[in-house]
Amino acid sequence: MGDAVAKPVDSASTSSVDRRKFLKGAAAGAAGAASAIVTGAASGQQGAPANARPAVARPTEADASADFVPPEPRVDARFIRHPGSDYMVDVLKTLDFDYVAVNPGSAFEGLHESLINHGGNRKPEILTVLHEEAGAAIAHGYAKAAGKPMMTLMHGTVGLLHASMGLFQAWCDRVPVFAIVGHARNPTSVVNRPHSAQDMGAIVRDFMKMDDEPTNLEVFANIAMRAYTIGRTPPMGPTLLVVDSELQEAPIPDPAKLTVPRLTMPSIPQGDSAAVREAARLLSSAERPLIRTGKLARTSAGWDRLIELAELLQAPVDVGGYASWQDFPSWHALYGSGGPDYRPDVILGLELNDMTASVRAVRSSGGKTISICSEYLSQGHNIHDFGNYSEVDVAIAADGEATLPSLIEEIRRQSTGSATRLRTARGAQVAAAHKAIRENEIDAARYGWNSTPVSVPRMVAELARQVQNDDWAIVSGHQFTGQWQRRLLNHDKFYRYNGDCGGFGIGYDTPASVGGALAHREHGRLPIAIVGDGDFNFVGAGALWTAAHHKIPLLVIVHNNRAYHAEVMLVQRTAARRGRGNDMVDIGNVIRDPAPDYAKIAQGYGIYAEGPIADPNALAPALERALARVRAGEPALLDVVSQPRGPT
Amino acid sequence: MNCRRLVTPVACVAVASAVLTAVSLAAQQAAQPVVGDAARGKPLFADTFNCYACHGFDGQSGERRLVPLNFTQEGFITFVQSSPLPNMPAYPDASPQQLADIYAYIRTIPADAPAVADIPLLRDIRERKARVAAE
Repeated sequence: MGDAVAKPVDSASTSSVDRRKFLKGAAAGAAGAASAIVTGAASGQQGAPANARPAVARPTEADASADFVPPEPRVDARFIRHPGSDYMVDVLKTLDFDYVAVNPGSAFEGLHESLINHGGNRKPEILTVLHEEAGAAIAHGYAKAAGKPMMTLMHGTVGLLHASMGLFQAWCDRVPVFAIVGHARNPTSVVNRPHSAQDMGAIVRDFMKMDDEPTNLEVFANIAMRAYTIGRTPPMGPTLLVVDSELQEAPIPDPAKLTVPRLTMPSIPQGDSAAVREAARLLSSAERPLIRTGKLARTSAGWDRLIELAELLQAPVDVGGYASWQDFPSWHALYGSGGPDYRPDVILGLELNDMTASVRAVRSSGGKTISICSEYLSQGHNIHDFGNYSEVDVAIAADGEATLPSLIEEIRRQSTGSATRLRTARGAQVAAAHKAIRENEIDAARYGWNSTPVSVPRMVAELARQVQNDDWAIVSGHQFTGQWQRRLLNHDKFYRYNGDCGGFGIGYDTPASVGGALAHREHGRLPIAIVGDGDFNFVGAGALWTAAHHKIPLLVIVHNNRAYHAEVMLVQRTAARRGRGNDMVDIGNVIRDPAPDYAKIAQGYGIYAEGPIADPNALAPALERALARVRAGEPALLDVVSQPRGPT
Repeated sequence: MNCRRLVTPVACVAVASAVLTAVSLAAQQAAQPVVGDAARGKPLFADTFNCYACHGFDGQSGERRLVPLNFTQEGFITFVQSSPLPNMPAYPDASPQQLADIYAYIRTIPADAPAVADIPLLRDIRERKARVAAE
């Protein structure tokens, strides 16, 4: 056995990995791992103080034999110097992952061990998660905040099924998540048989941009590169590698033939120049243009470009009532739809996958519609989230953000002096209309200001006051707080808001907020999440443990209305329509009797927490204490008992 | 079959009598509007009809503010029984008495809406927002 100490591959060196010599490191890693096991065992027996750990009742022999599940027999009982999973880790390191979410499973124990001992648990570092759905949602939230994918690693069938909801949300949100599922393809143990499948990827294929199961290590490298580049190319989406556990375990058959591929990211598809010219012509000559956005800004450059376009045209920007991404500053004078009297004659949809309403709005008056959307490039899939076909006048199949520079340039080229004067006047009118709307919105916040439980605007306003001097970032969605976050907090930077879930499924907000907060940590930002109690109850508490364990600062405010209130209203409406009375509609919809104590739950997971807080006057001091914890680098939770809905 | 042949003079008298009685009762009800009871209205608001779900426990923190209530009692009853709004169901089976009770309860809820100028926190946000938009 060699005497070299395992050295993790440094993150900075990933791009310059000696692709022909990775096995040298692999051998060292294996040797180091083996010696570490021996050393650890020895020190545990000889060097550790007797009282280092509390005494734990040892199981009896009968207990142990009853609980014992024999491990899956491995390929070969002999010592494996160069396992395939070491090579896999070398390949994955070229993809610049910072983190990998892991809930352990025997189908990827080889990869797990290689990540730790061969990869040194760096680039990627393992993020321990307590549920695979949380792992997928963390990766989802992280990708939006970091601008690059995170990896999530799952056990065969059961882990993948647990993760499926998180992967589905990422699909609907057009966000890349790099997923790997271990697969014991030839199980002999009774435990692993249900964890094997004829076609593992089929379990989630309806909402994966691609999936594949490599048959050898060379193909693994090929598929990993394809999955990464395809996942990150708009329309983006999650991708899945199914990795045979034997391939992870078996020695590399012919090391000299294996290389680690170099990553080359493709350029993002931009709009055809003739179509962009026509779009620019329509926008330049429009009297009342309106910009509507969907999932536009992938990066801060997209955010900047949209501001540039809006200001160039002096056109209002309507981000819609439900925006899964943040595209435009919420306090900007042009933020909005132009006011009640603004009748657009040209509507530009940027990454808006359904422009039916826009077409309907302008068609009768002879107006025009333009769509720049990567959804046209989408491949077929089963989920009905691609929107309606719309009879727009100019349809550009391209990424909105990538097309903005050429569109702006073309509009500038076509603009005349008189057009510029017209735009200036238009901008002033739009700003005045928006100002009136803003004042009405603020006015609406005062109703129920001192009510118990706390009104939604009061909750957000108290938060806004306390973080106004911080570099904050809302890492949860807006879905359950209406427009109050945008109204009362100035979303003036790209990263201020991380967006909603995409698939309108519950359970995303809390774990995705942990992922968003993780991405913001290195920038020293103050991450905040306002999550519904219904959402928190899915996998939220366990996700907070991950935040505590990995020291991820994050303030979580549980907007606790003690019910699935949208559903209360839906059942209520149905019961009324059927004339059956409303006194039973709480059944199945409320979360009371007993009302969960979210502060206690969080405390149980090692989180600083306070609540339930129903008195609005108690909120500010509680926020102050919790924020002090978050600023110091740890997660904190406030359970705020709230009014069911926010006023409109 | 010609149904008209089956209608006897006796039956006609009975029907006419019943109609007259109903008209008379309705006229009395119209002349004497139901009187609402706020104490009875509170559980109707919170539990029986779950009005709080949309309008807030305080009737003013929800999606449609009920406080201050601009309806007359009669207008309120008519509106609730036959709401044309898509998000507000109609309650044709809610009795005038129940709705009068709810009406009476809502009228007892004090408006909790200090002026924005009297809420430093909101006033500050309004001013900052105006400054940002003007930049």
